[in-house]
Amino acid sequence: MLEISDLHVSYGQDMVLNGLDLRLSDGESLAVIGESGTGKTTLGLSIMRLTEGKVQGSIRFDEHELLNLSEGEMQAIRWNRVAMVFQNVNNVLNPVHSILEQVAEPMIEHRLRRRGEARTRAGELLEKFGLPRERFSAYPHQLSGGEQQRVLLAMALANDPDLLILDEPLSSLDVTTKEELGDLLRMTDGRHARLVISHDLDTASRLADKLAVLYGGKIVEIGATREILQRPRHPYTRALIRAYPNMTTVKDLQGIKGRMTRPVSGCPFHPRCTQAIDMCSEIIPQLNWSQGRGIACHRGGIATLLSVVNLSKSFGSLKAVDSVNLSIESGETLALVGQSGSGKTTLAKTVIGLYPEFDGIVYLESEEVTSRGKAFYKRVQMIFQNPGESLSHRLSVLESVMEPLEIQSVGNKEQRRGKAIQTIGEVELPQTEDFLDTYPHHLSGGELQRVAIARALVLDPDLLIADEPTSFLDASIGAKILKLLLNLQEHRGLSMLYITHDIAAARKISDRIAVMLDGRIIEEGPSNMIVTAPEQPYTKHLLRSASSLALSGDGALSDSS
Amino acid sequence: MHIDVKKEIKRSNIGRAGLSLLLLVVVIAVLAPLLSSYDPVQQSAGSLLSPSGSHWLGTNHVGQDIWSQLIYGARTSLLVGFSVGIISLLLGILFGVSAALVGGLYDKIVMRIVDALIVIPMVIVVILVAAYIKPDLPVLILLLSVLSWQGGARVIRAQTLSLKESGHVNVSRTFGASRLYVAWRHIIPDLGPILLVEFIYGVRRAVFIEAGLAFLGIGDPMLISWGMMMRDAMSFSYLNVWQWWLVPAGVALSLTIIGLTFVSHAAESVLDPRLRGAEVA
Repeated sequence: MLEISDLHVSYGQDMVLNGLDLRLSDGESLAVIGESGTGKTTLGLSIMRLTEGKVQGSIRFDEHELLNLSEGEMQAIRWNRVAMVFQNVNNVLNPVHSILEQVAEPMIEHRLRRRGEARTRAGELLEKFGLPRERFSAYPHQLSGGEQQRVLLAMALANDPDLLILDEPLSSLDVTTKEELGDLLRMTDGRHARLVISHDLDTASRLADKLAVLYGGKIVEIGATREILQRPRHPYTRALIRAYPNMTTVKDLQGIKGRMTRPVSGCPFHPRCTQAIDMCSEIIPQLNWSQGRGIACHRGGIATLLSVVNLSKSFGSLKAVDSVNLSIESGETLALVGQSGSGKTTLAKTVIGLYPEFDGIVYLESEEVTSRGKAFYKRVQMIFQNPGESLSHRLSVLESVMEPLEIQSVGNKEQRRGKAIQTIGEVELPQTEDFLDTYPHHLSGGELQRVAIARALVLDPDLLIADEPTSFLDASIGAKILKLLLNLQEHRGLSMLYITHDIAAARKISDRIAVMLDGRIIEEGPSNMIVTAPEQPYTKHLLRSASSLALSGDGALSDSS
Repeated sequence: MHIDVKKEIKRSNIGRAGLSLLLLVVVIAVLAPLLSSYDPVQQSAGSLLSPSGSHWLGTNHVGQDIWSQLIYGARTSLLVGFSVGIISLLLGILFGVSAALVGGLYDKIVMRIVDALIVIPMVIVVILVAAYIKPDLPVLILLLSVLSWQGGARVIRAQTLSLKESGHVNVSRTFGASRLYVAWRHIIPDLGPILLVEFIYGVRRAVFIEAGLAFLGIGDPMLISWGMMMRDAMSFSYLNVWQWWLVPAGVALSLTIIGLTFVSHAAESVLDPRLRGAEVA
């Protein structure tokens, strides 16, 4: 019904929409999401032909090419067949007319109904959207924001349009109103096609079956709403979901590094992308479809950074790690949870190459790792359980952090020093000469672990293996280290293999959790699923015995419901 | 693990005594030309003179000044001792560290050689070889070094094996460090106190063996050393010259060795904190 192809919209030099393609069939609901400034609203206005920008490309609505219609022909379609609810509620309603009149007006204006009939239908619509009859004669300024939004929705539906465009319809409403209006809109499903424009993932998931993610004027990912929200494949989509407060995700909120900039050559997201390659800054990626999902990314979406296939490691007759399969995506945290002796550390040390003899295959970005040389260690780094032991007592803070650079012969001495100091700042340690010359035995546990983290990060690795990095620290300092790791992930796009016995900490920092028992991975899945709906008895046991501050053992919270 | 070895040695009485003795011998050896007006090799007066104002310890059977011989003899002892100590320590580090880090067949071969060298009595081998090739000073130093690194190598290997698995050594491997780098930057510095003790052992052994060889008349007869002085003095034991000829050489040798023993004893207590408490008290 609606077919947009190669749509470009620019305001002066500023290209807001940049070759956008979108199709919408009868009765379908599609949400377009993205940060503010990605051109969402411009898209809606362009379909309505209300934008002030320069529009190129094609917007076909049924048999009409909207961009070629005269203003008069457009008038016949606008509000009649295509209706839009605007973002900013306050300015849209006319302050001198009662709301009933305002809802009836488009019907009268388009001569669809006579005045009496129009008023009856307007009353029905308003009632349907939850406004009591006695409020019909109210004026806009007497209504609350939620009530105004109800009026606007009723107005948009007055002429029974074929396409309803909703620009941030529920975003500013409180949650209960949001749910009520969402359900009301859902009841009109199938009667008209719906294009929802929002930055709000919750609105999108309430109102649309399909989801298109817009960034830099292009669609970067499109597919079924549920699937995208559960398993985003484009780095931008994942970042959006990570930044969104909700009750499903258990990981702490993370922002997206950098700010949106325009214009950008190549992929619009590449300056903020954590897995960008050279090609990304040169060539604009096109939407590629597979399995009902379209992704515009040269890397084919979020790439797998490290995978471990059938890895086993024995010490004599003891099988410490038994046929383990794991994969870690770029920019993802995988938590490996299990009690001590379950083989977690052995697995980590095998991957990093401290146990050179093992069975199985390790892939780094689909290339088999055969020998671990400097190239491997430039990309994969590890921080250890006991920072006091992992730092040489004979090296000062600066010398310790510079050591990896020296081994890898990066730059000259001045550059190495500069890089080391910069990284020390990044882990929130002081950069004063005094501190740089301090030896480990004069540092606290938290400072030591930060130095160890700086040392692991100074080579700019892609994967950081963290083996119980907080187990030697008290809770408040441990919490700061976890925050630091999350921030570093946001800024650097680090992938992390986070090893811990503490499932409570794991859920705060990880996207996925793998539970390990006796050298095997017994359960693996998204953190929220593992934490809320574990399948294995051992996982349930871990969750039950995890730290809880509830007073009566099994959780006072659940008792009250 | 942060121990200042120098401070620890200075803190113990025995360590201080040992260091003072050693320092005394070293100063005498270095200042030898200033402390005596006679050339120890040249005949300076009649033979077998008793001590006098000009010849403090008298002269020997060929008229050489015994005091000059005594203080120049310190030079030989220290030169041989410290050279052998350093060279055998370097050999010990080379074989001990490399065996531990490389492992496998190489480790096995090196350790069997070490075992063989430990079993063979070193003094007998040295006497045999020395009697055969009549070594001059550099060859003697080399010979002693080659035959005395095995004990150190074994200790160093054992310690390296345990260090190898420790935190920061492992960590440096995860930056892609080569074995050479790991050995140089992390393992050898961490071996520090052990190396010091092994070095002093080596010096002491070398001083003792050099004196023994000279006493037995093996080695360069032109070289002035305490062992040779004692050997020459023994031939005239029926005269009373032993009082100023034999005894001073023996005492000098004993004091040097005691000094070294004291220092190594103090250094050992650094390695073993259980010994430390008693030392300080």
